Amino acid sequence: MLSTPKQGVFRGQAALVNAADGGRLNELLIAPQAALQLAFEQARGSDDYPTSLMGAIALIRQTFLDAQWQQQRLGWQDKHRQAERIEANDALDALAPALAGRQPVIFATEDELDYQRALAIAKEFSLRPILAGNGHEYRMAAGLKSAGVPVIVPLKTVEAPAIEDPDLALDVSLGELEHWAWAPYNARVLAEAGVDFALTAGALKKPDEFWPALRKAVEKGLDESVALAALTSRPAAMLGVDDRVGTLERGKRADFIVADADLFRSDKARIHETWIGGRRYEVGPGPADVRGSWTLTWRGANGPAQLEIAGEAAEPAVTAGGVSMPATISQRQLLLYPPGSLFGRSEERVSMVATVDGDRLQGRVPLPGGAEAVVSGQRTRPAAPAAAKAEARPALPAFPLRYPAGEFGRSGLPAQPAAVVVRNATIWTQGPQGRLDGADLLVENGRIAAIGTGLAVPRGTVEIDGRGKHVSPGIIDAHSHIAIARGVNEGSHAVTSEVRVGDVLDPTDITVYRQLGGGVTAAQLLHGSANPIGGQAQVIKLRWGADAQGLRFDGVTPTIKFALGENVKQSNWGSEFTSRYPQTRMGVPEIMLDQFLAARDYAARRAEKGAAPVRRDLRLEALAEVLAGTRIVHIHSYRQDEILAFVRIAQRLEFVPVFQHILEGYKVADALADLGAGASTFSDWWAYKMEVVDAIPYNGALMTAQNVVVSFNSDDAEMARRLNTEAAKAVRYGGLSETAALDLVTRNPARQLRIDDRVGSLERGKDADFVIWSDSPLSTLAYAEQTWIDGRKYFDRTEDRAEQARIDGERARLIAQILPERVKALAKKGDKSAKKDDAAAPAPKPVGHDHDHDDGFGLDRLRPIYHDGESIHLCSGLEAH
Amino acid sequence: MKRLLASFALAAVLSPAVAADAPATAPVLLTGADLYTVSHGVIPAGQLLIRDGKIAALGRDVAAPAGATRIDLAGKRIYPGLIAANSILGLTEVSAVRATNDYSEAGASTPEVRAEVAVNPDTELWPVARANGVLSALIMPRAGSDGVIAGQAALMQADGWTYEQMTVAASVGMVVAWPSARVPDWLPEDRKQRVREGVQKKRDALDRALRDARAYQAARQAGAVSVADLRDEALLPVLEGRMPLLVLANDAVQIREALAFAAREKLRIVIVGGADAWRMAAAIKAQDVPVILGSSHNLPMRRWEGYDTVFAAAGRLAAAGVTLAIANDGDAMSAMNERNLPYQAASYAAHGLGAEAALRAITLAPAQILGVADRLGSLEAGKDATLFVADGDILDIRAVVERAWVAGREVDLANKQSRLYQQYQRKYRGEPKG
Repeated sequence: MLSTPKQGVFRGQAALVNAADGGRLNELLIAPQAALQLAFEQARGSDDYPTSLMGAIALIRQTFLDAQWQQQRLGWQDKHRQAERIEANDALDALAPALAGRQPVIFATEDELDYQRALAIAKEFSLRPILAGNGHEYRMAAGLKSAGVPVIVPLKTVEAPAIEDPDLALDVSLGELEHWAWAPYNARVLAEAGVDFALTAGALKKPDEFWPALRKAVEKGLDESVALAALTSRPAAMLGVDDRVGTLERGKRADFIVADADLFRSDKARIHETWIGGRRYEVGPGPADVRGSWTLTWRGANGPAQLEIAGEAAEPAVTAGGVSMPATISQRQLLLYPPGSLFGRSEERVSMVATVDGDRLQGRVPLPGGAEAVVSGQRTRPAAPAAAKAEARPALPAFPLRYPAGEFGRSGLPAQPAAVVVRNATIWTQGPQGRLDGADLLVENGRIAAIGTGLAVPRGTVEIDGRGKHVSPGIIDAHSHIAIARGVNEGSHAVTSEVRVGDVLDPTDITVYRQLGGGVTAAQLLHGSANPIGGQAQVIKLRWGADAQGLRFDGVTPTIKFALGENVKQSNWGSEFTSRYPQTRMGVPEIMLDQFLAARDYAARRAEKGAAPVRRDLRLEALAEVLAGTRIVHIHSYRQDEILAFVRIAQRLEFVPVFQHILEGYKVADALADLGAGASTFSDWWAYKMEVVDAIPYNGALMTAQNVVVSFNSDDAEMARRLNTEAAKAVRYGGLSETAALDLVTRNPARQLRIDDRVGSLERGKDADFVIWSDSPLSTLAYAEQTWIDGRKYFDRTEDRAEQARIDGERARLIAQILPERVKALAKKGDKSAKKDDAAAPAPKPVGHDHDHDDGFGLDRLRPIYHDGESIHLCSGLEAH
Repeated sequence: MKRLLASFALAAVLSPAVAADAPATAPVLLTGADLYTVSHGVIPAGQLLIRDGKIAALGRDVAAPAGATRIDLAGKRIYPGLIAANSILGLTEVSAVRATNDYSEAGASTPEVRAEVAVNPDTELWPVARANGVLSALIMPRAGSDGVIAGQAALMQADGWTYEQMTVAASVGMVVAWPSARVPDWLPEDRKQRVREGVQKKRDALDRALRDARAYQAARQAGAVSVADLRDEALLPVLEGRMPLLVLANDAVQIREALAFAAREKLRIVIVGGADAWRMAAAIKAQDVPVILGSSHNLPMRRWEGYDTVFAAAGRLAAAGVTLAIANDGDAMSAMNERNLPYQAASYAAHGLGAEAALRAITLAPAQILGVADRLGSLEAGKDATLFVADGDILDIRAVVERAWVAGREVDLANKQSRLYQQYQRKYRGEPKG
């Protein structure tokens, strides 16, 4: 077995050991450092690094870089004898075999998205990855196959979801229901896809669940020989010990088992012997198989008698002359209760104790009155072999796997027609052509080809009737936290510029689809605002149905989140958070300046030729990019004083940030305009915390009047769906023109994100990202009818209706299918808990500090993908963390 | 002793109902605007006469009495004041600052607390909402994390020197936060268990409160009560059917349980929130329970639900014949933007409810549900002159509210935000801060 350390990110070295008992340690070890064990684990405390998945990945990346650097640096100092020596570091040394490809690296995964994350790291550092799976591998079988990565697949039993109460069943998603149906086929699907996998019992609660779970997998169609290989030769090959173990071959270790039947199919099959390194371990011998026909003879009355023994080896069914009798077998001892008449007695039953030895037995029948019959028996005919059951391979679930799983998932990206034209619509180009009535929009191969009236189009163009409709560019949300897995904040340290939202994209977040229904086509996914210098952001297109990689807005200028004010100084975190610097608006700009100066120094040292190799520091590197103008700062801000203080830092260091929230931007709009900084704000939020008491809905209009490029953002998974009408508030408050108002959620965020050469307006050559609305996009009565990205229709209200109907039908069908199993499980559980109630009441649980308050912080990290999309990380609100 | 008790009971019933001093002002005739009466359709280019705080007359041909002030509003629209039927306006100022929060009392059951007495007449929040036509609001105490009976809600208006002058009707309902049995499947087992225990505690507290109040009621009738118990006393109007329970319930289990509870205990309830109410519209209709539906600007509760599930809820309830009002969610984030009430009603309108029903759901319907339709909710002769003038469709964000009257007094639509707007326009004109 491969024994793996269980805690932390770099968990340590896994050792392959054998199960022999006694002996010296080195006799037990087959391979002491068989693999390096990694996991994307997050610390439990709120100030222990890393608190987020992106932090865990950043930690892995920086650590491997450190290990690489150490080797380089040691090599360098060997050549430069006079140079300063670096300290030894065993932990980094221990990573060298993995980095050199001499040792595999096992990545523990928690969900289907972790595979890609692990493979990305493996690729970045040329590692030999092995994925420790989680039971969802069947969903990604093709991808795992094409990646050629070995997988350790856990045998698991998936409990039937709680659907017996129809009201509570509402909380079970179609994805969960489908997983219940597919999970038993996990190994089979992998086998059929040709994925290299091993099986593990590691996810089972008790060791004795292993064989039943394996048999279940085989029953569901996993080929026995593949199952056997997955427990022997495949893991041996993955761990590089196939020269010694894994197959029965001359010269290999004598590790094998002896069983009395097909272990993969028969519940009654037993292992009799286990051989480890040539040593024999008898596994408490099972009952002798006494089945067959026997002749029993004894002295005295009657006899001989014929016995027929059938049934199971462990539960023999015994008859004599067609009359059955109770019987048990324990190892080689057979206990029978034949009718007394057999021995010429009047008693209803007598007992017979016999010892079985192969085809013979010797027994005694104590008879009332002190007499005893001595019986000997001979098997005259072995049991007829059970007729081999025709192995019906069960059919896989009838519904196809979608991506994302279950509801609203797709079986591929929407088609991209060669040409599409929307005819006779009101087109808000947000470009030089302005707003056109009765105009056509022609799209070719994903790009806008022409806008005008009565356009001639190529043959075969898909025609859409736009009469009475409005067409606008896709909505762009410059401040979003959707589609980010396991933590929006790396809130542990004050500076975490090394973490990357791009590492943890969650393309399965249902809010992606829901926002398409609100006309959103692109968004900047920002790190939260828990610390002054947060993490690197990721701009995406809302390509629902694509994987994490497919969401990315390619070629975009990288960005990073900074934050000012109450959140970073932990004002609203509770009374225990009073020691992390900074605690005031005095400290915030200083820590930023300090880090920038360090980054400038770092960049200079890195650029130096001929010096000792400088350790790559991803934290400072991101800041050095800001100074070099290749990364844009998006800074969370509210009050005019803090805004102005950061304007001065930016001027001193010569970079141009975009201010986020910036609710008092109207007070210093002139300074923003001088700097050329963008301002991405809320339309009308205010009053919920001290730093927003002076927020006004005229903010956008006032800043616009001072020539600041202004956008309205959501910072909220729900509100993003209505950014079009949020824009209308700038008409209501401050009197922007309707076109200028719509700019706030289209052209202007594109300019702030420096993607306005691609999106944000409808102009020839730009990406065909547009929305067809039922009415003016500024009207509260309008809704999006279609949302297009790259000339592909990602949302269609009519198709959505059909999909909703399909989901309702599928859910009903699966719930009906699950119900019997669930009822059975409940009955069983009822039995158990009834028994438990009889026992003494359990001791009261101690109340741990970490359980005293549910802050939505600890829990969020436990939440699996395919959760309900409620937003709990407003970085503007009270819960910055 | 008996007399003391009787006078106490009288005080409990009558004390908050002190009418605002009605200043003697000249009658005002609003003329030329389209009158969105809600109760009787739209009267195009009509007149509306305000006298003694009331709508004295309205129609196409109302003559101005002697001394009346005429206000020409041609091309405008007049609407009855919007009613924010689930709010904590005045009970919070800056929700992150605990000292400014007065909406949630400690304890599992606090039926004795009354919202109106803690409403700050000088809150900065309400003038902002008022500037968008929100002229009255149902102010509801909220339950704390362990609470179930939160206290008594009051219907308040957006004008008055004191909370008493702002109070249109005190004790219009008893707020009950129905415990939710929904336990997310992804929670660890120990946390699930704690949630379940918490739910059970709340259920027990609710049962106990009613049992105690009934015992108290019986003892009182038997003359066996010497010292009034404020909590039990507060529940008597509920037991007597004079005060409905305003039951905050969103998910299907909560609503189902609340309906069963109302039937079993023979109590009047109003469902507030009601996100899942459309799923059981027939049962709600059958029990004749009104629903004050929460904001449309919420995400669906469950992953598999359609993106428009929440938007479509109001239309589905209305189609089933359920008595329906629309409100915000009554939390701090709603309080700061109670002004957006018409827009969230509009999202319901766009997805099946229709504009006319949406307007009714934020005016007349809540007035009827809360028992104040004799004074508020529509433009009708005899009702309070609580109304506003807009330059367009109030459901559309681009429309601007230009003037407003509360109980016949014209109110100032300027507020903290408009003042800051004026002030900083001066900055960019190069004027001194002053």
